[in-house]
Amino acid sequence: MMRRIIIGAMIAAIPFAAPAQVENYTIDPIHSFVNFSVDHLGFTTIYGRFDKSSGKATLDRGAKKASIEVSVDTASVSTGDNDKGARARSRDEHLRSADFFNTAEFPRMTFKSTAATFNGDNLAELDGQVTLLGVTKPLTLKLERWKCGAHPFNKKEMCGGVATGKVKRTDFGMKYAVPAIGDEISLMIGFEAYKD
Amino acid sequence: MKQIVAGLAFMLLPSAGVASPESYTFDPRHTFVHFGVDHNDFSTIWGRFDRSSGKFTIDRQAKTGTLEVVVETASVSTGDGVRGDRPRSRDEHLRSPDFFNSAEFPRMLYKASTVKFNGEVPVELQGQLTLLGVSRPVTLAVDRWKCAPHAVTKRMICGGNATGALKRSEYGMKWGIPATGDDVKILVTFEAIKD
Repeated sequence: MMRRIIIGAMIAAIPFAAPAQVENYTIDPIHSFVNFSVDHLGFTTIYGRFDKSSGKATLDRGAKKASIEVSVDTASVSTGDNDKGARARSRDEHLRSADFFNTAEFPRMTFKSTAATFNGDNLAELDGQVTLLGVTKPLTLKLERWKCGAHPFNKKEMCGGVATGKVKRTDFGMKYAVPAIGDEISLMIGFEAYKD
Repeated sequence: MKQIVAGLAFMLLPSAGVASPESYTFDPRHTFVHFGVDHNDFSTIWGRFDRSSGKFTIDRQAKTGTLEVVVETASVSTGDGVRGDRPRSRDEHLRSPDFFNSAEFPRMLYKASTVKFNGEVPVELQGQLTLLGVSRPVTLAVDRWKCAPHAVTKRMICGGNATGALKRSEYGMKWGIPATGDDVKILVTFEAIKD
């Protein structure tokens, strides 16, 4: 009798392990963009973005885990100069060429997270791997902004925010015009994702 | 004696070198007006205007300058320009009367006539922005500035970054506030070639 009481008490004392509640999210492509900036000849900063990307994420608030997988369409690079006019090529065409993104051969750039760090309830950092021009390197993205809640109009559950990071393009073999056109690329990613 | 004193006094005047205002034209392929606005309190949407043109003058000795930039409102670009099966894309919506009304107001104009210097470096522009036919003061902080010969063309270039902010409702652009933010952050990245 005593043993059953003790065992019962021991079982009752085990912290109640909530079952993992993994939520699945899909990136909203109309409100999610990878923006980047690079130094130009030491004079100014050129900003650009990729117009087309897609991705999915998972979030487990109880276990403080998150993961994300994003695929960026490299040919969708857009820096405001896309019409060649009388020139041989526009800047965006040059960026799509083998000098830079080589989009014919590498139509996609991907990011796959490997670890997530939370600050309380908020996602603070994502460690992962970025694959560009067929080369894979680590990348850490810092969440400057993070919020989950209901969309004010359609009421769907969503998470959104802004993440930043830096890469050296030469790490991926993209060496054209370094350092006149900077090696260090700053990334600024605005994103919104709906719960599936 | 009076003449000697006058002569000495004249020699003591700071050497007023011939005023040297220089004039520059913005390179449209390396000059863009970017903006950022809050979206539903979840994220930030950035955009830019693909087409703008302008000039500035600068006189480093007199510490004066002027600037005039014209932005084509229809060139607004936020990454969603193809509607697909929707009634309109975001960029089309921005060109509509809900926002820039680019059919009626094809241009936005910024004119600055006051420039604050730190030594020979301009650090602030005070001017007027005319958007949707409404003119209001906008100050831009020059965060980055460098003048030097272009490494390849050898022409004299001045380039940099400038930032500012405005409330779009002050120009009558009220659609979607506050879900789509009223506060707009402005970033101008520029390169200009000496005339």
